[in-house]
Amino acid sequence: MSNLVLFQLRKSTVALSAISKLNKTHIEIQFNFKYLVGQLSQRLQSTSSQVVVRENTKREQKRVVPPNYRHIYPEFLPDPNMEFRNSVREKLERTDMINRRSRIEIPEFYVGSILAVTSSDEHAVGKTTKFVGICIKREFCGLRANFTLRNVVDNLGVEIKYEMYDPRLQRVQVLRLEKRLDSELLYLRDADPEFSTFPFDMDAEFLNEGAPVPVNPLKVNLRPPPWYARWERLQPKGAIIPELRGRRKEKSEKWLEKFSEPWEKYDLMKQYRKTIPEEEQDSIYSDIYSELHQMEIASKKLKRKKAFVKPKKTG
Amino acid sequence: MNSFSSIKTLLSCSSLRSSTFLQQVRHKKYPLQPKIQNPIWFAKKERATFDEQLTKENQAFVKEMVYAKYGPPAIIHGVETLDLSRSLLKQEPVVSGEWTPGIRRTGLIARKIGVYPMWMKDGKKVATTLLQVVDNYVIKYISPEEYQASRKAPRRYKNEGKWGCLVVGAECCDPQKFTKEYCGLFKDSGVAPTKILSRFLVSPEAAIQPGTSLSPLHFKVGDHIDVFGISKERGFQGVMKRWGFKGMPATHGVTKTHRRGGNIGQGGNKGRVFPGTKMPGWMGGRRRTLRGCQILRINTKFNVIFVKGQSVPGGQNSVVFLHDTLLPLKWRKTSPEAFPTYFPNLQEGDSLPVDIYHESVHNFSDPSIMYEDEEVKDAKK
Amino acid sequence: MFCNGLRNLSEIGQKIASRGFHTTAVNDQLHLLSRLRVVDNSEIGKRAMAEGKPPKIFHVYNKTGVGTIGDKVMVAIKGEKKKGIIVGCKQTQQAMVPKFDSNNVVLIDDNGSPLGTRIHVPIPNLLRTILRKKTIAKGADYTKLLAIATKFV
Repeated sequence: MSNLVLFQLRKSTVALSAISKLNKTHIEIQFNFKYLVGQLSQRLQSTSSQVVVRENTKREQKRVVPPNYRHIYPEFLPDPNMEFRNSVREKLERTDMINRRSRIEIPEFYVGSILAVTSSDEHAVGKTTKFVGICIKREFCGLRANFTLRNVVDNLGVEIKYEMYDPRLQRVQVLRLEKRLDSELLYLRDADPEFSTFPFDMDAEFLNEGAPVPVNPLKVNLRPPPWYARWERLQPKGAIIPELRGRRKEKSEKWLEKFSEPWEKYDLMKQYRKTIPEEEQDSIYSDIYSELHQMEIASKKLKRKKAFVKPKKTG
Repeated sequence: MNSFSSIKTLLSCSSLRSSTFLQQVRHKKYPLQPKIQNPIWFAKKERATFDEQLTKENQAFVKEMVYAKYGPPAIIHGVETLDLSRSLLKQEPVVSGEWTPGIRRTGLIARKIGVYPMWMKDGKKVATTLLQVVDNYVIKYISPEEYQASRKAPRRYKNEGKWGCLVVGAECCDPQKFTKEYCGLFKDSGVAPTKILSRFLVSPEAAIQPGTSLSPLHFKVGDHIDVFGISKERGFQGVMKRWGFKGMPATHGVTKTHRRGGNIGQGGNKGRVFPGTKMPGWMGGRRRTLRGCQILRINTKFNVIFVKGQSVPGGQNSVVFLHDTLLPLKWRKTSPEAFPTYFPNLQEGDSLPVDIYHESVHNFSDPSIMYEDEEVKDAKK
Repeated sequence: MFCNGLRNLSEIGQKIASRGFHTTAVNDQLHLLSRLRVVDNSEIGKRAMAEGKPPKIFHVYNKTGVGTIGDKVMVAIKGEKKKGIIVGCKQTQQAMVPKFDSNNVVLIDDNGSPLGTRIHVPIPNLLRTILRKKTIAKGADYTKLLAIATKFV
């Protein structure tokens, strides 16, 4: 081991100079960055000493949390506003959320997915109700996390907000797992009812395991104004806005000219304040990874069992 | 006293010059009595910091000495402090009396760490405020007689010798940050100097030995407590935000008085502004009390008390003080389990559950709430 | 038939938009002179909706003056005054309480029995408890309204 030296260096030039100083016969170099490995090994071949260059695998092993967790479980990330941060409260909140999740399976879903929610309702006849609808909004983090479902029942639009960690929820089922072009689908209120009509006896659609979540590029026709919001200003991607006439058109054009902020997407500080740094996200998810992973495995097993029982006799 | 002495000197000066001539003094003859006197344990806290030009070895040595005196640094209940178990006084507790109605126990110092929802067993959502009790220690006990004698406050503050005073500290830290006098306050108790000091009026029967650590289990789930602290500072605010006035119309010929308060008094005999009139001014940053909050849950791992309601004064991470409620309808009628306070060794603290919930609160690890059908209910009856 | 009503509504919306003044009530609250949509099949209600002259609130029977689900209101409809019960609101609701795309009302008489024989739209489950409570308090029977409902959400 005396002639084995381990390096953790970033720049190949620095490494070279260090090696020349050492004058050892056998040198092994570990790197955190894969692209440097090949570069260095080529350079060092000319030197007389025996050099083994390899990538440092410790860093890879450290990161066990899948990178898509922040999309699947966004509510585990706290509010990035420093005014409301406290590490102890966040830990407590997370444990409470995990405890609740151990009792009810809250599956992966996105804005645009179609959900069926069964909840206990003291006002209903059988003390339980079921509602099916498209998720048009997801809000807040922690135990306050909620989502809104929309459906058109008997030609009347109905929206119900559910809190994700409400103990009154009995079952949350994803009937169709997909994303839409926007992060909020509030414009469905001003669209034709056909776009938000879903039957209550809809069957769950099957998506292959490990397949990426499909994005539905559906564009929705909006009715003429009055609207819920000024969509001509917000310009959602998934809505076809009818051409406006007269003064409203002039006003919207003027507004867009005056108040549009094309430079905003380059404002790094603003983005930084709105998000939680990647290292912190990793530490948060690694705290709860084992529990979440076990729950995922358990739910998969359940699904397989159900899938096995289901086949019907033909003929 | 300053003005009084100045009058004296003036008098003496004038008498030197001539006995008939007296210079006019245009200020108050007697200084106003201070409304609140400094407590007897008051000492200057913060030290002026300067470069002491210590070598690294010396700095390490000083740190070592601090740890040797008070205890090694440790994370207790999720908070960075010193492990004082070695240095604390190990004397027998002060002989405490029996609990009778009207006896005041000590309070606790906590930090408001956030607000989040919980659900009751009937499915109702309530907002709860999380108060973390950071390492609390009794620093000093002052008997009623001593406390009375030292306090020459106006008559309205007198407590007729009923209550003594218990000085409680929270959040131990490096004594190098404080002055010598301040550190001297902690000498008798064996506690490392704390960032926060507070006093709670207690009955002599509820006196506690200095050096005792206080835990959130001093209170029980379901108890009603009062929480006081410094409210959020809003700055100089107008009458609409500060007192909730309506303001004046936006139109109908109104000019320049849309957010003003309007009239502040009458004329004639009462032609002055009465004291206490609601006017613009500095809003917030004052001591405010929220009375009668119920404790719904206690977390023993992080020492967090969950209190019903969300209007605890102060912002996130601000210091608040808790004590048994003084509301006559909610105050304690039966003897508390922890009297004068909770002692973990005596009551087998090792077997404590992590979370203690009130019976009306839904535990997050319980199954979903199911309502019973009325017919089923009737059938059961 | 109901579809007719809806088409009428959207037509009204278009007409109003073309007139160029704003008709959205503040916060979607139901207060004085808010327009409602009659969702039962009472004769007067059907005619009013078909003509594009929806009823207007001119009194809310509570202390706040803002109507919510289950509140009794007095409305002006086709030159007459009728009582009604609000069975669905556009206003933002609490969790698990449905929010509808229109402000719905069912017309009733003084005894609380509805003028129509059928309600065409879903009504919230919450209404059951509210109406039952009000029935005890007032002496009028409002629960007949629940019997003519077709669907609850």
